[in-house]
Amino acid sequence: MKVMKRNWLIALVWLSAMGMVSAQYDARGKVTDSSGEPLISVTVIVKGTAIGVSTDINGDYSIGVPTDQATLEFSYIGYKVQELTVTSDSPVNNVTMAEDFTELEEVVVTGLATGVKRSNLANTVASVSSKELTGVTTQQTVDGALYGKMTGVNIVSSNGAPGGGIAMRLRGISSLSGNNQPLWIIDGVYMSNAEIPSGSRFASGANSGSEEGASNRIADLNPNDIESIEVLKGAAAAAIYGTRANAGVVIVTTKKGQSGKSKISLDQDIGFNTIIKKVGRRQYTSQDVFDRFGAEEQARFDAAQAAGRIFDYEDEIYGETGGILDTRLSVTGGNDKTSFFLGGGRRDENGIIKNTGFERNSIRLNVNHKISDKVKIGINSNYVNSSASRSFTGNENEGGLSYGYTLAFTRDWNDLFPDENGVYPNNPTYAGNPIFVRDQARNEETNNRFITGLNLDITLMQKSNQVLRWASSGGADFFLNETFVYVPELHQSQVGNDNGFIGVGRNKFSNRNFQSFLVHDLYASNGIRFTTQAGMSYLKFDRDFTFAQTTQLNPGQTNLSQGGTQETSQTIETEEDFGIIVQEEINWNDRIIANLGVRFDKSSLNGDPNKMYAFPRASLALNLNNFDFWSSDMFDQFKLRVAYGQTGSSAEFGSLFTSFGTVNIDGSAGLSVNGLQGKADLEPERSSELEFGTDISLLDNKLGFEITYYIRNVENLIYNRSLPTSSGFSNEIRQDLELQNTGLEVGIRYNPIATSNLNWETGVNFWFNRSTVEDLGVPSFVPPGTAFGLGLGSFFIDQGSSITALWGNGEAGPEIIGETEPDFQLGWFNQINFAKDFDFNFLLHWKQGGDVLNLSRLLTNIGGTTPQELDDLEGFIEDASYIRLREVGLRYKLKLNSNIIDGIRLGVSGRNLLTITNYSSYDPETSTKGGTGLSTGIEVTPFPTSKQLYFHVGFDF
Amino acid sequence: MKNKFLYILVLFCLITVSCEIDEQVDPNAPSLNSVAENATPQELNLLVNGILASMRTGYGEYVTGPGSIAREMYRFDADPRNTEDLLGKDGVGLDNNTFYLTSPYNSRYRVIKTANVLLDALNNTTSVTEAEKEGYRGFARTIQGLMYTQVLNMLGSNGIRFDVSDPEILGPFLSEAEGWQRIQVLFDQAADHLNGASFAFTLNDGWSGFSDPAGFLQVNRALAARALARAGLYEAVEGTLSSSFYDLNGNLTTGPKMVFSLSSGDIQNPVFRVPNENGNQLVVHNRFIEDAISGDSRLGKFSARAIPTSLDSLNGTHQTALYPSNVSPIDIIRNEELIFIYAEAQMNLNNAGNFVTAMNVIRQANGLDDYSGGTSMEEMIDEYLFQRGYSFWGEAKLMFDLRTYGRLNDANLPIDRPGDIIHTQFPIPLAENQ
Repeated sequence: MKVMKRNWLIALVWLSAMGMVSAQYDARGKVTDSSGEPLISVTVIVKGTAIGVSTDINGDYSIGVPTDQATLEFSYIGYKVQELTVTSDSPVNNVTMAEDFTELEEVVVTGLATGVKRSNLANTVASVSSKELTGVTTQQTVDGALYGKMTGVNIVSSNGAPGGGIAMRLRGISSLSGNNQPLWIIDGVYMSNAEIPSGSRFASGANSGSEEGASNRIADLNPNDIESIEVLKGAAAAAIYGTRANAGVVIVTTKKGQSGKSKISLDQDIGFNTIIKKVGRRQYTSQDVFDRFGAEEQARFDAAQAAGRIFDYEDEIYGETGGILDTRLSVTGGNDKTSFFLGGGRRDENGIIKNTGFERNSIRLNVNHKISDKVKIGINSNYVNSSASRSFTGNENEGGLSYGYTLAFTRDWNDLFPDENGVYPNNPTYAGNPIFVRDQARNEETNNRFITGLNLDITLMQKSNQVLRWASSGGADFFLNETFVYVPELHQSQVGNDNGFIGVGRNKFSNRNFQSFLVHDLYASNGIRFTTQAGMSYLKFDRDFTFAQTTQLNPGQTNLSQGGTQETSQTIETEEDFGIIVQEEINWNDRIIANLGVRFDKSSLNGDPNKMYAFPRASLALNLNNFDFWSSDMFDQFKLRVAYGQTGSSAEFGSLFTSFGTVNIDGSAGLSVNGLQGKADLEPERSSELEFGTDISLLDNKLGFEITYYIRNVENLIYNRSLPTSSGFSNEIRQDLELQNTGLEVGIRYNPIATSNLNWETGVNFWFNRSTVEDLGVPSFVPPGTAFGLGLGSFFIDQGSSITALWGNGEAGPEIIGETEPDFQLGWFNQINFAKDFDFNFLLHWKQGGDVLNLSRLLTNIGGTTPQELDDLEGFIEDASYIRLREVGLRYKLKLNSNIIDGIRLGVSGRNLLTITNYSSYDPETSTKGGTGLSTGIEVTPFPTSKQLYFHVGFDF
Repeated sequence: MKNKFLYILVLFCLITVSCEIDEQVDPNAPSLNSVAENATPQELNLLVNGILASMRTGYGEYVTGPGSIAREMYRFDADPRNTEDLLGKDGVGLDNNTFYLTSPYNSRYRVIKTANVLLDALNNTTSVTEAEKEGYRGFARTIQGLMYTQVLNMLGSNGIRFDVSDPEILGPFLSEAEGWQRIQVLFDQAADHLNGASFAFTLNDGWSGFSDPAGFLQVNRALAARALARAGLYEAVEGTLSSSFYDLNGNLTTGPKMVFSLSSGDIQNPVFRVPNENGNQLVVHNRFIEDAISGDSRLGKFSARAIPTSLDSLNGTHQTALYPSNVSPIDIIRNEELIFIYAEAQMNLNNAGNFVTAMNVIRQANGLDDYSGGTSMEEMIDEYLFQRGYSFWGEAKLMFDLRTYGRLNDANLPIDRPGDIIHTQFPIPLAENQ
């Protein structure tokens, strides 16, 4: 290490001694878009050199050209790269840039400090722009907004409550025990996407926190602050992120200020949530009641019928229309040195169940400043206050709280409404009265969150053929999540037992990370460009979950101290990672682009916290169309690419330890063996991915294909397995599992009509994934905590079989009864601009195959509430294919020649407005076990998904 | 400017080499290894409490599973498998990976493991005297014997895994007979420890009268006698009972108890149900109401519901009133059961006179006339099982009693729904077969 340090110092002294090579002459001009508007901050470089400038506030550039004749290259996000030949005789040239539909020129963030033009990329990196993200309709959460918009991304909403509850999975399953959610990085800051249970399970009897239907904390991110999202789906693309990237990486870049005239936009949406579909209730006649429940029940039914007191409890609970107000303000501006983006947003949304909703207030300030030509600094800061009231849904055990569970056993002739004294009657057929729970019980959370990132980019050395940059960034994501669960002492299942429940959680999250890189670009004379980077990355996550509960409540009290039995628990988690990264990219005239890199990582989550693990990567892209032998004019791009990379994932916190559980008897503490036998020598699991494919663009970039096939192997996969429980432990942690994901991703882009009056852009995303257990060091087993046993249907890890299959007890042991992985998925995106100022956009999403184990119907069958129309269904595995109109919107832009208002935007749009499916319950997208692990495809009485209709009005000042 | 970069670069390199991550310890709970050597008396006593606390875990399912199978009760609650699997709806078998099996099974073995941790800790500490060590050992092995008894009751002829002290090398499944024999050895070992031992720990109020080594030994003998009777070793029963707190003329309720409280971290009585609660109820099988002899004071264990209840085509008019509150203690073993054990042994040894004497003690205590039936073996078994049913309703006995006498079948138990079947034992859990 010491030797290397001295070498760097020598290099630095040597480099800084070099001045810039003096220019022969200055080339100048103005850069505008097709409508003549000046474009600010367009990058202008002398091709084949490191000489570069950017356009100023008037779109003007001036660049020193070292040779008599040179080619200037103009690039700007969203526009095609323009080349211009200049000579000393004609140094003044204006340039008009054309918008780019294929996004070939878009720069994609691939390293921690570098980017690559999309046309030179050797992996697939899915990108979603602000326009695609929020341009069609208003989004509830960022992750929910991505579905259908990129290949290889499966998103499941585990809970239809406002405020999210979304599981995102890139290229299949990568872990059994937990970390299947990708890493989220917001402007260089590692953002926590934790799913934090509120502790409602202690009142409802749900088996685990994952059954509480909690939201995931990406919900705090305001979708309207986002400029672009890039998704590194597999190890080949994400290797640079090392041990945190096994499930992929989502890189979010927020909006930057634009220099020039300050622009102010104010948008207001008004919308409505309504249930997508009602399942219905069984309709009874007096005779039916007698046949099923006997004479006494028949008498109750007859009395209710005579009094006109037969209800539709599904409608009573899920039938609300929830109002949505979404307000956004953005201000951008700046001069040639400093630019800023100020974004404020407020979303206030009510759910389809009374007293549920979500509120998010967000304010963001992004400032970028050039201290000099060589030193740039940027700060992104975001404060979010969000709160949600999610009430009670999903699985439970005798809590009488979960609506769906309660409704399954609640007969429509039970009268559950309060009498004139406000007394709610007991539910005669279940442990809770859902009307009482809706009106009186609470399950709420509040978050206060700061996310701040700082980045510094210093050009240490610039010569005509090389640049040395030092890029560093760091930041923090800090939030306090506070949960509150209140079940009054009058709630049916509480009376005589706990006599009321208050649970208060204070969950503190603190993520800090810092990374620093040296990047060296060298333009060799033979047209080869070398980009070398070396750097380090450090992160530390601290989490502190404190939960206090009180039972035996004093009547009507909601304070923790107002009860007879009080209990606290605390869980502390700390994670610390350190990595070193080296990467080399070689680009020969945009013809051959090769990339080699390695990351060394260590982590406190590994058995040996100071052992470095290496994660290499290599990739090669061939742009055949750029070679001299390529004579066809038909293709704008014909690229072949192959990429390989490795990523890792360390165990969840706590996996290294075998600890006692604390118990209590009659006021005396005790220690008892806990369920989990930890493994003190855990290594990170390792994912190796090979992907190859081709990118083809033709018809003047109007038609583009992107085809990728990948093979991803996860080795040393960390998993929990049930031990023979006679050992005293129920689970152990093991690493002898190998999993393979293979899949195909096809993206097609087409711009069939492009006239000034009508422009139609359309795109199709098609993808599928298959996961197979390749190798297993133990006999087949049921992974703990993922389902409800083979009797009802469960996941089952079996060598040679699909890991996402559902198994049941058969004649000769466990057998496959369903498959949760879809056969394929397809998204069809359309943007139609007509009569210049109208935009009509829609996104259709088709999921073919993928079964769901519908245990809601098992419950309604037992409770006798399944509607007659579903009597023919056999078993509880159902095909959950669907076609859904995920987004549709019509917008009108009115330009005003006013000094005050530049324009008015009007629109109407919707989400999930239409769903075609044979699935019998509320939504074929469901997961009763939340977003982690092998979680999808099992339904137990979820919060029904809603559809949203919006009206928009926006003003530009 | 140059200097500034130099500093940054030096800093960069320093961070690179100096980032050493600390060894990790669990910040949330003591490690299992923490008692492996030089355990303090406080730690040993925490383990004693841990054993007493965790033997209550899973007890609810230990009652409701066998209770449903023996048609003592229905468990009407949120989980459909209580009325489907346990009653063999449409011929369905018991699942080997479902809570009604895994919950009691896992928790029994967890207690056994904690007791093994205690036993290991004793071998590597000098913080307590040898007599005190013998006290801990006698306690630990007695509770282990009780836990093994409950497991073997559930699994029946599937046998039992007995040698579990090393989680890496678990012993084989032993036959039922071998299992009972090993349990007996364990109880006897514990008794040897208790002779001359002293207790360095305090047992909770549930053990009042049995909280010193001599008293605890009486419990040990009572539990041993229960296991002997289950094993069919009737000759040995009377001798063992004589060292226990068995008293034909004594209070039937005498015996150690599992206690519950509303204290922080404690649990409530898992077999208690709130009267007239819907959706989470232990419903008395109607045969216990219909077959009852009027005047039987044990009918106080049942209460008539304000409105009858029905679920999954099952109906009931009465609910449990076995425990008056959610903190009522549950008997581990009581004199009433010892009298039954005595009666059972005498019956099987064909000492009808002694059998009738014992049954009359039970009858009289519950307001019934003396036994006037015949004394053929079949008639005695009828009487024995009838009285057992009412004396131990909701205490996980009847299923195993019926099985012992070949009566756990549809010739002796009602079939409530066409297609229901009667299970005779629980399967070996899936995790054990892996």
